[in-house]
Amino acid sequence: MTLLKREEWQHFVRDVDWTFRYVDDEAVFPEWHSGTGKVPREAWLSWEENYKVTYPEYVATQREKEASAYAVKAALQRSTAFDNLDEGWKSSTKMHFGGVALVEYAAVLGELKMARFGLNGAWRNMATFGQLDELRHAQITTFFGHEFVGKDPQYDWTQKTFHTNDWVPIALRNLFDNMMISPNVVDLAIELPFTFETGFTNLQFVALSADALESGDVNFANMISSIQTDEARHSQQGGPTMEILVEHDPVRAQWVIDRSFWGSARAFAALTGPAMDYYTPLEHRKQSYREFMEEWIIDQFIHTIEDYGLKKPWFWDEFMRGLDTWHHGLHMGLWYWRPTLWWRPKAGVSKDEREWLQEKYPNWEKVYGGKWDTMIDNINANNVEATLPETLPWLCSMCHLPACNATQSRDGTWRVRDWSLSYGGKTYHFCTNACRQIWWKDRDNVNHETLIDRFLAGQIQPMDVGGILNYMGMTPDVMGDDPDYAAWTKDYTGRPATGLALSTAKGDQS
Amino acid sequence: MKNPVGPILRMGDEVEQIIAAIEDDNPDHEIEVIDRGSYIRVQGEDRLVVTQDTLRAYLGADYEIRTFESMMSSFNGRITTTSDSITWEKVSAKKNALAREGARS
Repeated sequence: MTLLKREEWQHFVRDVDWTFRYVDDEAVFPEWHSGTGKVPREAWLSWEENYKVTYPEYVATQREKEASAYAVKAALQRSTAFDNLDEGWKSSTKMHFGGVALVEYAAVLGELKMARFGLNGAWRNMATFGQLDELRHAQITTFFGHEFVGKDPQYDWTQKTFHTNDWVPIALRNLFDNMMISPNVVDLAIELPFTFETGFTNLQFVALSADALESGDVNFANMISSIQTDEARHSQQGGPTMEILVEHDPVRAQWVIDRSFWGSARAFAALTGPAMDYYTPLEHRKQSYREFMEEWIIDQFIHTIEDYGLKKPWFWDEFMRGLDTWHHGLHMGLWYWRPTLWWRPKAGVSKDEREWLQEKYPNWEKVYGGKWDTMIDNINANNVEATLPETLPWLCSMCHLPACNATQSRDGTWRVRDWSLSYGGKTYHFCTNACRQIWWKDRDNVNHETLIDRFLAGQIQPMDVGGILNYMGMTPDVMGDDPDYAAWTKDYTGRPATGLALSTAKGDQS
Repeated sequence: MKNPVGPILRMGDEVEQIIAAIEDDNPDHEIEVIDRGSYIRVQGEDRLVVTQDTLRAYLGADYEIRTFESMMSSFNGRITTTSDSITWEKVSAKKNALAREGARS
């Protein structure tokens, strides 16, 4: 039987916009969901996707993708592949499972919103496939993570993370609620498919798969790169939306890109950065986080937005400087507050690893070396206590991540700065200049309270480390700790202690 | 390469044949292949195309171009998929082509 070609029939079944006779357009596409703004309603008639797919094609292709992903899983389930993985690499996957599984489900809701309120039939059609994609991702991520719960209870946080008030999911809820749940569909299409899925998810789902495969985690590499084949398609809702928005309201287009770019960059520095530059075993690292960022974000994504007639975000210089500092500071913070994590962060600062870090980031030793030396000397003096937290870090009021970014002063010294802002009788503190500016522009948004806000307001009782860990849902069987202290301290045993560790050692002697 | 465009392919048995098909379909382009293990960047300047006919020559007569999706984790540039071919081109290329058409009419 000869079938009609897709081009001969698709527009009939897909373009289902008709003229309403019993209600007005605003009742069907209310502004607060559809968000046309300054764009004339009829301008959306020209919305057309370039990555076309029909329902029969979609079903056939998705079935093949699922069959292939589960076949690999089934084959490896019988092997010892998982048991032979490095603890550091396993931590990268625990962070991924917990940090991603339910975000995929939030993305289902975002896609459904576009499937209902998108201003063109072709857009709504594409978003319908998009929500099926995201449902697949929520399911496959939860299921693949669940396999390991019996071997290691930290994998239980695959499903649990977003049901807790751990500071990491609070930070991610703040980001993704703003990106996927609260925006109107025009902003949503720019934030989620365009910025997040065309840009940043490539880092976690394609670039990280390179490290996964090198580390011997074929199953994980296969799962994430399979997921990203769906993203490559449904992220194409962003382009046509962007084209129309840029034509009628370029200022809005630029702002929406800028704020979602920044939020994504902060979150990926916290999650993908440590996974690539510290948790992945040195011999398995394909490139540094900075190099992957250059490949996927600086070269590829910025090229794309400039092609659409937009500019680099206004904070570009601050962002570029942050590529050498953000994730190193965040890694140190994650490691130090390790009891608050559902993975085992490995410090990753043995001599060989530090040489690699110094080669990739020429200021690494100057900014971070001394701090790690203090940790190392404390460990080697059997004083692990001194490397454990007794207080909380300040969490940025915008990105909710610890304010720990070192910047260079005019006199050459590196310091962690505080960007503060007084508003409505309250002083807010931010980790970066751009976090402060975005918060100010978005100040009418309902933002989540940071864990510190909650603590200071007395919502967390008792007000000590035990009370905080309990509030976060942390239990002793899951609580993070370094998987192997000796691995990164043994290179330095026997050397004289320096810095803070020295004063602690002296104090012990007196 | 000033304006690299093209697919990023995930690991799989068919990668070599797909690259060969892309090379055949773009005889005037220099094709750059960057292998990162789990993914392979295939890129050319400004515009690349691959057709179902050429893919079938390498992968068998029953190869359907829709299945290309399951190999492509990402891509660079703007994509256009039809039932016979896939094209990647610079984002502004389509806009410029429309502008040229407008000037002619």
